[in-house]
Amino acid sequence: MPKYFAGCDLGSTTGKAVILNASGKVVASALIRSKIDPIETGREVLEMAAGQVEGLDVRDISYLVGTGYGRNEVPFANENVSEITCHAVGAHYMDPGVRTIVDIGGQDVKAIALNDDGSVLEFAMNDKCAAGTGRFYEAVVRTFDVTLDQFSELSLKAKKVVPVTSQCTVFAESELVSLLYKRHPPADIAAGVQLSVAKRVFTLARRVGIRPKVTVTGGCSKNKGLVKALEKVLRVDIVNLGMDPQFMGALGAAVIALRKQGN
Amino acid sequence: MKQPVSLPRLINDIVDSPISPLVDKAQEADRKAIAYTCSFVPEPLLNVEGLFGVRVRAPGVSGTPMADTYLSNVICSTVRSILEFVLEGTFSSINGWVFTASCDHMRRLYDNLDYLEHPDFIHILDVPHKRSEAAVQWMREELSMLAEKLADKFNVVTDDAALSRAIDAHNEYLALMRDISDLRKRDHPPLTGAMFQALIAAASSSPTDLIIPHLRVFYETARNAPGIDDYRARLLMAGSHCDDPHYIRVIESTGALVVGDRTCTGSIPALAPIDDEGDPLTVLARRSLSNISCPRMMEEFDTRVEEIIAAAKEFRVDGVVLETMKFCDTWGVEASPMINALRKAKIPVLRLEREYSLGSEGQLQTRVQAFMESMGK
Repeated sequence: MPKYFAGCDLGSTTGKAVILNASGKVVASALIRSKIDPIETGREVLEMAAGQVEGLDVRDISYLVGTGYGRNEVPFANENVSEITCHAVGAHYMDPGVRTIVDIGGQDVKAIALNDDGSVLEFAMNDKCAAGTGRFYEAVVRTFDVTLDQFSELSLKAKKVVPVTSQCTVFAESELVSLLYKRHPPADIAAGVQLSVAKRVFTLARRVGIRPKVTVTGGCSKNKGLVKALEKVLRVDIVNLGMDPQFMGALGAAVIALRKQGN
Repeated sequence: MKQPVSLPRLINDIVDSPISPLVDKAQEADRKAIAYTCSFVPEPLLNVEGLFGVRVRAPGVSGTPMADTYLSNVICSTVRSILEFVLEGTFSSINGWVFTASCDHMRRLYDNLDYLEHPDFIHILDVPHKRSEAAVQWMREELSMLAEKLADKFNVVTDDAALSRAIDAHNEYLALMRDISDLRKRDHPPLTGAMFQALIAAASSSPTDLIIPHLRVFYETARNAPGIDDYRARLLMAGSHCDDPHYIRVIESTGALVVGDRTCTGSIPALAPIDDEGDPLTVLARRSLSNISCPRMMEEFDTRVEEIIAAAKEFRVDGVVLETMKFCDTWGVEASPMINALRKAKIPVLRLEREYSLGSEGQLQTRVQAFMESMGK
């Protein structure tokens, strides 16, 4: 039986799993919405990923690394590694030129500076507040009564930016309602939301230093309007990693698992 | 992490209680409890016969809604939490309060306590921002006024002989804490950083003479115990107010072992013995100004950095965790250049900004774990 190595990233909103073969090629990946029980999320997403490889049972994975908010709860994991290290390893694995990562997940925003070898040089992370995270966007799209994809597209159609001053998720929701009632174009307000999040990221990223190449990982990386706002605020091009950036944590965990091959 | 020793139950009880049961016991013996909040208050002056000092904490504070109506929203949460407990009546059995004008936040605590509660005894010490001989004399005058006021109010003796006895007694406590602290220098320390902080917190919030026997029992057990050998990295905690062992416990839950500390509620007040020669008030004044590495002291930045570097070497740590209370003006200014200075000395540093009450444990663990991983641990 060939050897396989896996990473499982249990985030606050989604669970992700990536499986590599012994050559380091991604042979499977899976993503599910997080359940109440993190162990159940881990088990299900790992089984989904393993199911994509013929004859592979999760228990046959040679080495499994857990990461993310629920990293202590990944079933069968050999060890756990922080998501900060895993995103760094994953992004560097896909593009060794990456020096700065902005990871925007369900409840955390992180800026990570990388050394030339892909190790973490410095990182900065939001506090308790979930402003600018996936949770924040969930509240925003509820106000706009659209999907996140629709919201992202809407923001790209803005003619100008209507400033959104509230960072707090709850206050921002109220502010958006009043801006909509004032008949500001929804697209312009949406662009204001993207800019407010990008500015929050800017302060974090400045703390670690913004060095190209810069990439965005985590679930919010799929929000094109946000990525565009980040490019404007950070004054850099955001590089595409060639793999869904939401999987970078799980990929990094799998790469770490692969590197343990000799142990 | 396997822990070879555990804390005596009494220590845990004290740590989780705003008022130590030993305070009640001492008060039943007609001794008066004098509360204080800052390391610049010299404990021996509050420990003369008939009195004892209590460093107040607010363990278990769940919010500060009442204090928030009296304090600005940029006052640190240590001060808010203590005022909240004051307003709840948690500290109503305290007989007197001594503050220092160590920072604006502590001054506001003094102002509000005086205004809202009118304690029978409340005093604030002016503390110079320098260590010069003139500053020592100024501080001595401040202590002299406090000594006189304590003597008048509580009918106790605060003369030189009484102060010398209090200094000797405090030296006994310091010697014991030094012995316990030295255990942390071992390759495999028998106690965790959380345990050490619990001992310090319990001791500083209890009458010293009543807590010493319990500390001694712990020391005798710990010094013969096997050490902790499954930790990932040795860390030094530096920074502002941190009287909560549970905060350190969360850090250590990642596999780190906090083997040393240079916080104002840890070892910064200095476990070194107090000079027992010379005029006691001058000795205490000099000790306060010389041994407390608070960023409020001007022109001492390099000394503070050197102290942390020296401690990092002494305790053979892999990195330093610089924890600062949110809105702490002094540490807010100090932290950035200190991080640069420590990194220049090739010491890895993680800065953690925190509130008084523990929250977001998962994010705290992530930061510490990533810090250790960045050190290759």
